Amino acid sequence: MEQGAVEETGGPTKRSPAGGLRRRRHLTAWLFMVPMVVINVLVILGPSVATIYFSFTEWSGIGPAEFVGLQNYRDLLADGDFWIAMWHNVVWTILFLTVPIAMGLLGAFLLSQIKRFQMFFRIAYFIPFVVASVVNCALWQNILDPERGIGSTLASIGIPFLDGVSFFGNTRLALPSVAFVNNWAWWGFVLLLFLTALQSVDHELYEAARIDGAGRWQQFLNVTLPGIRPTFIFVVLLTIINSLLVFDYVFIVTRGGPAGASEVVGTLMWKQAFERFEAGYASAMGLSLSFVSGVIVLIFIFLRRRGWEVRISPRGAAKGANPQRYRTTSSSLSWRSSPSGRSWLSCSTRSSRAPR
Amino acid sequence: MYAQISRRQFLARGGKAALGVGLAGSLLAGCGSGGGGSGQVTYWSNLTGSGPQDYFKKNIVKPFEKANKGTDLKVSFQPPDQMDRLVRTALQGGEGPDIIMTPGPAYAQEYIDANLFAELDDYSDQYKWDDKLLGRALDLGRYEDKLYAIPYQLQTMLLYYNKTLFEDKGMQPPKNRDELESMAEELQGQGITPFAAGIGDDPAAIEWFPTVFWNHYSGPDALYQALTGEIPFSDPVFVEAIELFNNYVQKGWFGGSREKFFSNGFDALHADLGDGKAGMNIEGSWFLADINDFIADSGDEWDWAPLPPLRSGVPAELYELGIGSTLSVNRRAGDADGAAAFIDYLTANKKRAAEWMAAVPSAFNAPLPFTESDFPASMDQRVARQLAALSEATGKGNFGYTAGTFWPSKSDVYIQEESQKVLTGDITAAEFCQGLDEQFTTDRKEGAVPKIIKPGGA
Repeated sequence: MEQGAVEETGGPTKRSPAGGLRRRRHLTAWLFMVPMVVINVLVILGPSVATIYFSFTEWSGIGPAEFVGLQNYRDLLADGDFWIAMWHNVVWTILFLTVPIAMGLLGAFLLSQIKRFQMFFRIAYFIPFVVASVVNCALWQNILDPERGIGSTLASIGIPFLDGVSFFGNTRLALPSVAFVNNWAWWGFVLLLFLTALQSVDHELYEAARIDGAGRWQQFLNVTLPGIRPTFIFVVLLTIINSLLVFDYVFIVTRGGPAGASEVVGTLMWKQAFERFEAGYASAMGLSLSFVSGVIVLIFIFLRRRGWEVRISPRGAAKGANPQRYRTTSSSLSWRSSPSGRSWLSCSTRSSRAPR
Repeated sequence: MYAQISRRQFLARGGKAALGVGLAGSLLAGCGSGGGGSGQVTYWSNLTGSGPQDYFKKNIVKPFEKANKGTDLKVSFQPPDQMDRLVRTALQGGEGPDIIMTPGPAYAQEYIDANLFAELDDYSDQYKWDDKLLGRALDLGRYEDKLYAIPYQLQTMLLYYNKTLFEDKGMQPPKNRDELESMAEELQGQGITPFAAGIGDDPAAIEWFPTVFWNHYSGPDALYQALTGEIPFSDPVFVEAIELFNNYVQKGWFGGSREKFFSNGFDALHADLGDGKAGMNIEGSWFLADINDFIADSGDEWDWAPLPPLRSGVPAELYELGIGSTLSVNRRAGDADGAAAFIDYLTANKKRAAEWMAAVPSAFNAPLPFTESDFPASMDQRVARQLAALSEATGKGNFGYTAGTFWPSKSDVYIQEESQKVLTGDITAAEFCQGLDEQFTTDRKEGAVPKIIKPGGA
């Protein structure tokens, strides 16, 4: 912003010195970026190119690699274990697009309503996120231990429904149980993101909604959700990418077991590379996963450029209030009030322009 | 908000920074580059825990350096389960230690194929390893009649039992399948888990069980034939062994239930053995290093016995031979003589090795022809008895085969992954064995099967 201001104030007579200053600053900026670029080339671009190359080879990780063309990719398409693992990633994604986001939204909304002890709850919910995954996993492995965990403790006081349940040893429970452990650490982070976004929503919008007769639920649907839309989209994108790349919690708790019941592509890839020593095939697997992630990111970018935005229509939430009046009033109230309000209003304004 | 600097100042400071980074890089590279022929030997050890590591540095490294003036032994400790990956990564980058440790002969073979190990035959003549080391064990380090690796950290599978519990119940370790099954039923009937077992901490540990059932049901002769390609792994004698294992798991004999077998961690299952919640435990001889920690709290006594034959015709006292690691000299070692000297120091002196084995059980098991009298009196006699028994059995050819040592890595991983599916009912024992045979056949065609030593009876 400062740079822009300098450029705007420069008159025609000062063009030459201002241009020199601008060039020097550009040069300085580029020079500062050089170390980062070099590091990125070394640790990201180089290995990435190497991975692409090795994905077309048969390579054990030591010795020479034999070029096999697209054979690894053909094998991948026919590999049942890969598709099962990919399906588990999809299940994982669905779980994380629903449970932690719902918990985070609800928690953030409720937390935004209180003043006392808010910081305590924020810290309490956020702590699991900053604790090492190994510690979180060990904690929950003990809590959910069929012999010494919560199940047997509850049974000892006459509540036997979890007694002997082996959460990580049962093929049906293993994947959701590991997801539960990961979610415990993750949802607090989502909550904080949503809470921060919520605090930037203009309070006048809530007042306007209340004046229009909107209840808590209607305020949530029609003010809160549109107000935090950019954060919501960011969380969704982050969740999808994280879910596709999930590795640590599954690896630590079950290593993909029992019998592949919690195998995800990340753990399968690790096994291919470091247990079966098929580094070329593992590279192809990793690139395929990156391709899927990349496609999803591109879809998001494309849709955003096309003007698509997540918007909760007030139509279904307007029981007891006049939604049309509410939208119009809200937009007129806060059009110039804040960036986040503007973001919401751009959506509302478009809605209000819809045919009536 | 920031102090503006001129371009000249920026370039000057940037140059200094770059020089500093470059200099630091050079220094660091110098630190990590190994001996380079200066008499320095680098060794990556798989020892864990401050006790064994300190013992190693004080009682092995320092005396070695004292006895070999001019050789500077640089030791670093790596996590055992990561060792192979770390070594591969280092070698791939043209680095790596001078003495290379692998997890077993099948792994060593890959390094030999990649021409990364130096031949050791001259050193074998110099140090008379043929005379000192167990011949059958030494054979595992030979490829195409050339010696490349010294097997180290010999292991076997044992039947541990809670001796106090057995005495209370009037039981003796089982001598055959009938005895084992009747004991298991009796213990289970009394609310005691027959075998403490679980793979929650390391699902790959499931391979111990196919190993045990194939050796003690199918027998070492059948295994030798299968490993050398004479008969397929789909042979009924192997299928029946897996069915028996599956049967025991479904009955809840291993760990209490199938689900608990999948989720029990090592600490939990060892504690169950220690406090008498479980009667027995099938595990490798490495457990001798820790077993007292789990038994001490309860005040119970423990002992071990050889695993019983599960079918007639299988030897009564049979020990699966496992090689915990192999030691080789990096072809690029700056001081190959120094590296070989340390391998000799570590593996080929019976008196020294016996002392170390007594001090730190299972960490320094050298392939030497031990008898019980070779070990110091301070050594736990149960440990001494086990070491002597394994050494004697190996010498006589009365041994079996562990999956981690004699199966190629891909076949081994197949066993670890797919045998779980037999227990969950996703595939049958016959399908599992058929799949193993296909994988093993592929591995054999690719030359990935390590040298298979012939048992005495085969």
